[in-house]
Amino acid sequence: MRQGGKKLALHLVVVLGALVILVPFYMILVNSFKGIRESALFGMGLPSEWLFENYEKVFEQGNILRGFKNSFLLAGLTVVCVNLFASMAAFVIQRRDDRLMRGLYMMFILGLIVPVSIVPTIRLMDMLGIKGTYFSMIMYYTAVLLPFSVFLLVGFMKQIPRELDEAAQIEGAGFFRLYFRIILPLLVTVLVTVTIVVIVSVWNDFFGPFYLVTDSTKWTIVLQIFNFVSLYNTNWGVVFAFMVIVVLPVLIVYLLLQRYIIDGLTAGSVKG
Amino acid sequence: MERRKYPLYFSFPAVAVFLLFFIAPTLIGVYYSFTDWNINADSVTFIGFDNYAALFQEPRLGKALSNTLIFAAAVTVLQNAIGLALALVMNESIKMRNFFRMVFFMPYVIAPIVIGYVFRAIYHPEHGIVNTILNGIGLDFMAQDWLNDPKWALFSIIVTDLWRVSGFTMVIYLAGLQFIPKDLLESASIDGASYWHRLKNIVLPLIASSTTVNILLSLIGSMKVFEMVMVLTDGGPGYTTEVFYTYIRSTFSMGQMGYSTAINLVLFALVTLVGIPVLTALKKREVEM
Repeated sequence: MRQGGKKLALHLVVVLGALVILVPFYMILVNSFKGIRESALFGMGLPSEWLFENYEKVFEQGNILRGFKNSFLLAGLTVVCVNLFASMAAFVIQRRDDRLMRGLYMMFILGLIVPVSIVPTIRLMDMLGIKGTYFSMIMYYTAVLLPFSVFLLVGFMKQIPRELDEAAQIEGAGFFRLYFRIILPLLVTVLVTVTIVVIVSVWNDFFGPFYLVTDSTKWTIVLQIFNFVSLYNTNWGVVFAFMVIVVLPVLIVYLLLQRYIIDGLTAGSVKG
Repeated sequence: MERRKYPLYFSFPAVAVFLLFFIAPTLIGVYYSFTDWNINADSVTFIGFDNYAALFQEPRLGKALSNTLIFAAAVTVLQNAIGLALALVMNESIKMRNFFRMVFFMPYVIAPIVIGYVFRAIYHPEHGIVNTILNGIGLDFMAQDWLNDPKWALFSIIVTDLWRVSGFTMVIYLAGLQFIPKDLLESASIDGASYWHRLKNIVLPLIASSTTVNILLSLIGSMKVFEMVMVLTDGGPGYTTEVFYTYIRSTFSMGQMGYSTAINLVLFALVTLVGIPVLTALKKREVEM
């Protein structure tokens, strides 16, 4: 009987917690179909009239497809750079484990702690003649996201036995073969996690493009929503529709891959 | 395989990008923080510690400093408390456990700026859900203008951030909990150890590495808060919710580049001063377990 009461209480806590998370999502969705007056009340009821025009308006005014393309491009290329660079570095850092490599590891860990100096970054991009380019953004994101990725990957790499490296060597595999054919496939779980962390970070980031991208044709989707809200904040229905469009792709990716995110974080963070 | 046989050049791409696009700007920043670099002026001259002297006389810095510390302390403690509690509950046999786990992590994948806009609606003094619910259950006196009342603004931002990040913390704690051998808890239970006893003496020590990761990530992340504050209050009302990055943003938009770089370096010093000792202490505690 007491056990039953405890179970019930636990379920109650969980359901209440889930409601706290889900209600705001529901609020955005339901209000994205409401007219200008009704949406400004932020009510929880269904729309008196379903306005699908809100979504049409967003697509007409927002240059939203260009924003998607920019976000997609930046996220995609950063994923490639971060995964490749971080896993290569993590491999030698963990395997050599000498003084130099421990120093290098510390440097990356410090990068996890230290805040980005954004104004000098703008200056640097200017000096290098790459200010405002996609390339500069990809390099910026790669630099910012390397520390966390190296941290996760070094943690995970400890679980891959060194005997494997020896076996490969005895079989006559060169170092590149060892890395690409044996180590990399074993890292897949963490690489998926890194990929998701990178996609989510780049897709959702406002700070970087706000400072580093001046040309509006290169604006990411998050920068567009910022600009859109500043201009059209009187029509919450349209703003909510914009939010749904921005949130939906990440949410779908998350729902499809959530098992891997959780597994990868589990493997990399705790063993590290 | 011998350690020396792992080729160093494998680390070069990562090191090059990191040195050029992370370390170099930080060092350039140190130089510029000693200059009068201003977007509206033609030349940049070295002015020694003038920026810092001006900065430390500016009450806004004090506000940014105390708010950042209050925010970071509150978020770190509460995020870990909520995250751990959620993880402990989700580690029990709950119906639809995976569904709930997925729901709790969900806010973490949403852009903070979008969450900020949504909570602006939620905190709306007349129509927002928070006040509507409070009025609905007869707690009218508790309804506030959450974001425009200096007493409540920072609190409201903290709550919003907790909503966003607690699920992430939960996942890392859940990871730690999975490594605890079940029979250890069972035998302690048979020996008559209460739930709190088991939590304190078995569970917490065994998830020490999760705690380190969580505390470190939430401490660092919360000291660098920007979007959430910018969208919810933009440092206001007055400067009552000013944090480092909103301060940097406003001096940046006035073109005071040297000055805003100096603010960034004060933040750098603060994060290092708080972060490194905390990391060292947590690591040491882990080893002792």
